[in-house]
Amino acid sequence: MRRTKYRWRVTVLVLALALAAAACSGGESVDTGDDATTTSGIAAETTAAPASETTAAPATETTAAPAAVEQILIAAQGSEPDQLDPHMTSAYASFQVLENVYDTLVQPGADLSMEPALAESWDISADNLTWTFTLRSGVKFHNGRDLVAEDVVYSFNRIIEEGLNGWRFGSVETITAVDDATVAIVLSRPSPNLLVSIAGFKGMAIIPKESVDDGSIGTKPVGTGPFRFVSQSPDEGIVLEKNPDYWRAGEGLPKLDGIRFIQIPDAGTKLTALRTGEVHWIDAVPPQDIESLSNEDGITVGRVPGGDYHYFALNQNRAPFDDVRVRQAIATAINRAEITEAAQFGAATANQTAIPASNAAWYYGYSPYGSGDIAAAQALLDDAGVSNLTVEFLVTSDFPETVTQAQVIAAELAAVGITVEINDVDFSTWLDLEGNGEFDAFMLSWIGNIDPDDFYYAQHHSEGGFNFQGYSNPDVDTLLDAARVETDQAARKALYDQAAQMIVDDASYIYLYNPDNINAWRDEVGGYTTRGDNAIRFEETTLQ
Amino acid sequence: MSGSTEFDRLATKPVSRTRETLQALVANRLAVAGLIVLSLLVIVGIFGEVIAPYGINDIDIPNRLTRPSGSHWFGTDELGRDVMSRVLIAARVSLQVGFIAVGFALVVGVPIGLVSGYYRGTIDSVLMRMMDVLFSFPAILLAIAILAVLGPGVGNAMIAIGLVYTPIFARITRGSVLVVSGEVYIRAARSLGAGDRRIIFRHILPNVLAPIIVQTTLSLAFAILSEAALSFLGLGVQPPNPAWGRMLAEGRNFFEQAPWMGIFPGLAILVTVMSFNFVGDGLRDALDPKQKSVIESRGQSV
Amino acid sequence: MSPRSLTGQSDLDERNMTGFLIRRMMQMALALLGVSIVVFALMHLVPGDPVRVALGTRFDQDLYDALTKRVGLDKPLIEQYFSWLANAITGDLGVSFRNGQPVTTLILERLPATVTLALAALLIALVVALPAGIISAVRSGTPLDYTVSAASQVGISMPDFWAGVMYILLFALTLGWLPSSGYTPFSNSAWEWARHLVLPALTIGLISGSIITRFVRSAVLEALNQDYVLTARAKGLSEWQIVRRHVLPNAWIPIVTIVGLQLGFLLGGVVVTEVIFAWPGLGRLALTAVKDRDFTVLQGAVLYIAFMFLTINLVVDIIYARLDPRVRVS
Repeated sequence: MRRTKYRWRVTVLVLALALAAAACSGGESVDTGDDATTTSGIAAETTAAPASETTAAPATETTAAPAAVEQILIAAQGSEPDQLDPHMTSAYASFQVLENVYDTLVQPGADLSMEPALAESWDISADNLTWTFTLRSGVKFHNGRDLVAEDVVYSFNRIIEEGLNGWRFGSVETITAVDDATVAIVLSRPSPNLLVSIAGFKGMAIIPKESVDDGSIGTKPVGTGPFRFVSQSPDEGIVLEKNPDYWRAGEGLPKLDGIRFIQIPDAGTKLTALRTGEVHWIDAVPPQDIESLSNEDGITVGRVPGGDYHYFALNQNRAPFDDVRVRQAIATAINRAEITEAAQFGAATANQTAIPASNAAWYYGYSPYGSGDIAAAQALLDDAGVSNLTVEFLVTSDFPETVTQAQVIAAELAAVGITVEINDVDFSTWLDLEGNGEFDAFMLSWIGNIDPDDFYYAQHHSEGGFNFQGYSNPDVDTLLDAARVETDQAARKALYDQAAQMIVDDASYIYLYNPDNINAWRDEVGGYTTRGDNAIRFEETTLQ
Repeated sequence: MSGSTEFDRLATKPVSRTRETLQALVANRLAVAGLIVLSLLVIVGIFGEVIAPYGINDIDIPNRLTRPSGSHWFGTDELGRDVMSRVLIAARVSLQVGFIAVGFALVVGVPIGLVSGYYRGTIDSVLMRMMDVLFSFPAILLAIAILAVLGPGVGNAMIAIGLVYTPIFARITRGSVLVVSGEVYIRAARSLGAGDRRIIFRHILPNVLAPIIVQTTLSLAFAILSEAALSFLGLGVQPPNPAWGRMLAEGRNFFEQAPWMGIFPGLAILVTVMSFNFVGDGLRDALDPKQKSVIESRGQSV
Repeated sequence: MSPRSLTGQSDLDERNMTGFLIRRMMQMALALLGVSIVVFALMHLVPGDPVRVALGTRFDQDLYDALTKRVGLDKPLIEQYFSWLANAITGDLGVSFRNGQPVTTLILERLPATVTLALAALLIALVVALPAGIISAVRSGTPLDYTVSAASQVGISMPDFWAGVMYILLFALTLGWLPSSGYTPFSNSAWEWARHLVLPALTIGLISGSIITRFVRSAVLEALNQDYVLTARAKGLSEWQIVRRHVLPNAWIPIVTIVGLQLGFLLGGVVVTEVIFAWPGLGRLALTAVKDRDFTVLQGAVLYIAFMFLTINLVVDIIYARLDPRVRVS
């Protein structure tokens, strides 16, 4: 449940705080579109300037690696990791790196179903309230110590007490180490989505206590993953090396000798670097460049439908947006295909609901609204007795697609006599205004969701933590409450389908589209796939 | 008081120079060219919507990013909007921000300079230290911080830029007042019992006008540059209203596909700023050949 | 301006100079204090604060309060300011709210890039401006003079962000000669360092150069009109000898002034140019800090920039005062 917002910039705070921020559940997602840097211009650094001791620094990388025909992948990120503490960051750039350093108890597989990772297996008690995880044996942290159940308990407690994602343990009563290889989690209510909640992305990483105790976790991460952290410097970026003790070493993983993440905030420069071969892989391609890049020899563009969705919401605490007909009129008057094409150059799928078709387990196709249906929209407005309506749209240049979309919507709504006033502010102010309810409409995106609870509960439940639009429908509340404890998959889906239908009908959010996840790499890179959750995993990647 | 009146006439001599000044200005070809361009700009600014072939937000996705042609002289942008129409209509905002911001700086800065220079002493120190603070602030950061507080928008951009330019006017005015205060006719006026207010407004102000006028023209040029820089950073006028700086910033993302998105708004800024500079230079040559501090008002971009 | 030579300053009153220095430094300290108060006030008036940003949309009052307390933002503003000030005086600018790094480190990390760009730009500016200004003054009224004037007029009117973008379009995208953005430390690769430096340095260097050209021209022109030049001419010295021996020594004070001012601006970081070229300098550090509401970083960065600016001004004034004692009177 990660919102686009929490990319590099925001998140960023270390504050070393216990932030239950809206960080993420599904993996990390990508800024499919433009680099946030481009319009706002405040990109993260390409390379921070070195301090005076720079001259000594570059040695690290070379000495760290054996020599000869090393396979070092150079990966370009569009923004700079703010810090490397998985429990404290919500920057996507940080997770791109940490994905390859840390492990979670279980992890989303290629189809986003949860697969064993540090836990080899798990059992659920008959009452669905106790989950018992059996840890894989022989897993070592990069500092050489064996992983034990206490590490899991420690990590989860740290997240609950100090991390950004403590809220994910909402139904968790106790976490205990039964023995060195067994962890038991006791719940207050059945939680069919527990695995996604506690292991859906690397923000839920299992860490060794000692790296918190010595204060190194933010700068020198120690995990159990395929690559070990070597160094980070403004000049060299972030250097990782192969972890020979990786628990999948038996399968010959990881295949690379190392990875170097460098940061190139300007999207155009990043593309050029890929074309010239200065880097092997880039994390995102501006939508307008996908076509030309795909046609280029020597470059592969990986593109899969993503789990993110873009939407806007009308303030139901303000007249006339409290009138469902007004909201429906707006939902009817807009043309999602045009918005999608304008903002994403077709690298997205228009959708009137939140969950993308690619999320086969939970997708519910429902499209009640016309597309740019001016007559129907006008009829709804007339019915509501509303005319000369002005809507103030809260958007932010820090996520430039919101500004683009708002302009398209402004043109579309003009056809039904609705005036759109765009309020484009920086993201800090955006958050403040959203939190204080100072908007007619706000527009953004949510990224990286997997489980429907993540798509709907916090946003549309009357008590939901992100329900800033002021939506309250007791039927929806009942359905969402029931669905989150329903352990039968089919029954659970039926509940969510009903809830989704009501949410769309009531236009609590007006959904726009699901963007594709896009990476690009040079042909010498093998064994890499762009994932639906946008997690960047290089363990099986090779380099020729 | 008759003696005082006599002095008024003598001391306001510079005002009678107006005609000479105009003649000198007209003789300066570049200044004339600048004036002509500025007049055209003002007309475009007033009648932008009438002149522009398209509206500012006439979205036409199928025809996005098309190169300059007969139907779109400056091409179209990423939403298929006519770049020329947007460039023309954006002239108004640039001029408005320029004029009002500099007006603000004048109205605040000149009195500060007059008071500081005339009374000297503590009040001078206090005011000048305040101006030092504003002046030593990195200008664009100051404007950005002010806009963060006030919220983006044209009105707030005017205030932000106006504040940034205030110390320049205060300093220039003060400097001129210090020189003028020592002149015979001021001392004479004082000895004849003229009140402070009368001396300041009747005798000092007219004699320090020349550098202020020159500074005003040149500041207009840089205020327009500042507005462009702020809107380049997304801090000026709100979309879909066009602003040159913002159009240029958006054009950056489409550089390979549509360079015209950035070229034309940039040219508009260049031509406008240059025109103000020509007029300002012409005025300076005519009014105040020795005035040299003016260009200092340009740091980088703001 | 009367003829002045660079030597013969022995009449300079040292005590007077010391008093001048002390007074100026106190003024500078006052200005810095004022700057810090202004930044502090602005940042606390601004909507959004670092904790709010960290919490994002998942707003929870209890958590907000707890976090606010942890970073000390719950204390009265006055107290926050004075505790910051007390630390700042001892050289401790605090740590970034954003990533916990010491502000001093963040500034120092960006200093090499900033200084590199400033000096390179100034070098370009001087290489262009000195010859251009002198020639156009000496050949004043000729087509050459008009050309130089026109070119400098364009340079002064050119928005730096537009110039930068055009250079990228031409040299990086079309011709492919130079990288479009980024920074490589000299220690990594001198060649890459230089390649990355060219475009941003050109962008601001030519603008600064245009400004300086005009000052050089008018300073030289003024010196050329002095009696001693007529005398020298009467003695049959060649035009270039006159320029070298008589004009330049007298014209260089205003030139130093404007060059100093330009350097002051450049060393403070050039926000927009840094943004365009993804140059990891101070301007972007400060700009990002505004966006993130990273108060401590902004305070530190702005204070540093103002310090640079004021110091250079002071140095220029000292040079000026040494050369022209009359300045100290005013």
